[in-house]
Amino acid sequence: MLRMFQLWLQTTGKTLTLPRPKGGSETRLHSNPKEMLEFRRGARKALTRSLLVRHLDVGSNNAEEAELVALGGPLYDLAQYGVDFTASPRHADVLAVTGPVTRQLKVALERTYAATPNPKLVMAIGDGACYGSAYETSYACLGPVDQFISVDIYVPGDPPSPRELIQAFLTCKQLLAERN
Amino acid sequence: MKMKQTASQEIFALLETINQNLGEQVIRSYLQAGNQLVFHIPATSISQAATWLFHQFTDITLATVVASHEPPAGKNDAQFGVDFLFNIRQPQAWVILKIELPEASPSYPAISPTIPAANWFEREIHDLFGIRATGTHLEPLVLHRDWPRPGHYPMRKDYTPAGIPIAEVPHQFHLTEGPGRHQVAVGPIHAGIIEPGHMRFNVTGEKIHQFNVQLFYTHKGIEKMAEGKTVQDGLNLAEHACGMCAFSHSVAYAMAAESLASIQSPERASYLRTILLEMERLANHFWDLSAICQAGGFPFGAMLAAGFRETIVQICHDLTGHRFMRGINTIGGFKRDIANSRLKQACRDLLCMRKEFDEWQALILGKGSLLDRLEKTGVITKLTARNVGLVGPAARGSGISQDVRRDYPYLMYGKFPPTIPTYPTGDALSRTKVRIDEVSVSIRLIEFLANNMPEGPVLEEDMPSYRAHQPGIMMVESAKGSLVHWLVLDETGRIDRWHVRSASYMNWRGVAEATIGDNIVPDAPLVNKSFNLCYACVDR
Repeated sequence: MLRMFQLWLQTTGKTLTLPRPKGGSETRLHSNPKEMLEFRRGARKALTRSLLVRHLDVGSNNAEEAELVALGGPLYDLAQYGVDFTASPRHADVLAVTGPVTRQLKVALERTYAATPNPKLVMAIGDGACYGSAYETSYACLGPVDQFISVDIYVPGDPPSPRELIQAFLTCKQLLAERN
Repeated sequence: MKMKQTASQEIFALLETINQNLGEQVIRSYLQAGNQLVFHIPATSISQAATWLFHQFTDITLATVVASHEPPAGKNDAQFGVDFLFNIRQPQAWVILKIELPEASPSYPAISPTIPAANWFEREIHDLFGIRATGTHLEPLVLHRDWPRPGHYPMRKDYTPAGIPIAEVPHQFHLTEGPGRHQVAVGPIHAGIIEPGHMRFNVTGEKIHQFNVQLFYTHKGIEKMAEGKTVQDGLNLAEHACGMCAFSHSVAYAMAAESLASIQSPERASYLRTILLEMERLANHFWDLSAICQAGGFPFGAMLAAGFRETIVQICHDLTGHRFMRGINTIGGFKRDIANSRLKQACRDLLCMRKEFDEWQALILGKGSLLDRLEKTGVITKLTARNVGLVGPAARGSGISQDVRRDYPYLMYGKFPPTIPTYPTGDALSRTKVRIDEVSVSIRLIEFLANNMPEGPVLEEDMPSYRAHQPGIMMVESAKGSLVHWLVLDETGRIDRWHVRSASYMNWRGVAEATIGDNIVPDAPLVNKSFNLCYACVDR
């Protein structure tokens, strides 16, 4: 384990070496607007686009949250796909909503939705958020997420597996690229 | 047989002792289901009786308080019952103080002035049933301030949910004022991937003076939903009470139901249940350790611990077909068997992981920057821990040697009791160390059980009918502490009242106690993570 870390330290230095600009002068990247534009184009092509996700729990049972946290762990490493979780809805492209909407979280759902800038996508994660049918007899639950805000992607499951979640996030990227 | 005799004699002796001391306060008393001592007490003297009981025995804890509503039937008037459930370690018994209250303006003297652990129960019962505890301040707890009061009590049997409007009524907090004093509000939508809850800090600069927490945002009313369902359907709800401790809830519910039918799961199923309970403990502890490292500013350790957790969850998936082990447990045992070869493979995987975990442990406990953050952060004294009724690693980190697996053994824990680590300092470090030690204990126990599996069926096919109108009580040690399921069925075998008291329910008050004191605002996430509580099974 520690040896792995040492190995990683050794290799990162190598992969991070940037090619020197032509001519070998000390030109920094942002000093030349033309070069900068080219760099941006190239980067966009290579990296496509990033996706920032705001997680929003409106009454789930913690299983969906556990899977979302697992995505950030060392095995799935969601960041490698350019997907990351953000602290504020104002920075988010996607709202990842979990759980059947409880009456005490309806206001939070609506406010977070309003705070997210357009264009935005909404993803309903788990059976509760997608259908809410198990909780329809409850006095404290109001129904699935799409009764309150429009949902673009449904990821049913109890909870959905990390693989399904990664697929859903990649679909989000595709959808956003198509819309732009 | 002889052992059993003496145990029941001890319980009878206990019944006598309590009867003599409570004297005329007891209307009638009896023993039911082998270990439940029931005392009917007039509502006016409940506070006195509970206080005496709580201070008389040193090894007694308030497990839960359950209210129930019986609508008018025939010539019986409608009435409420409130059961105060205590557990005594020696001899192992439940002590139930039972009061009955009339339909019109039900109230009883509060026990929370002398037993602070009862505070949340009293407030919850007031919110859901409209039963008042007099002599204490009944702040809204489960139902937020916009819920119309009085008049709408959802847990009463005759309540029909009819379009209750949702209004934005701000919460009220107990905060102090002074020069330079201000408030820091956090939640209910947090910055990370956490469940919803609102925290309000009252600070001067960085120093925390007051800490208020508003939970129950995800209150789904599952206890009410269970009423009228079959026992099997209730199990599904129990499994979905919480994601992190799904299997503990499942086992607690199933065993409560089994006790009502006077059956026991076959030996092989008991072994399997014990193994899977320990697997869940491992998954939770790695999750907690990862969160502690993250909050303590050591992401490298956090990532490795998250990797351990993922390994455990994948083993669970391999064994049961579900990453959170839902859907395999049932009343009377397991729905399907788990092959011995799979268990052996799981053991091999655990053994590999354990070597890495030992390295991790040495890394963490030798990391000055992390230890510096953990030491003396969020201290809870032993006295506070007992008063607020802490359970699980939080209690053991405050020097209270308490574990359901050893104190009230169930499944295979009676035969193979685990060692219980305790640390006296009560800070975040001791809570971390408790978890680290328990990981090794759990792995050893799993290995031992998996290598000594008995053969045989895993499901008790012969199901007698359930006893009606008698509580089936089961306490299970989940990773976060003891959780209690209380199940009462009616004559048709359907659920009349189901109550869940999760471990986090008791420990949230511990978080509040630990956060105030000598801590500053940046310590608050670390204190919170050193408990790492669920919200879902608290809110239900």
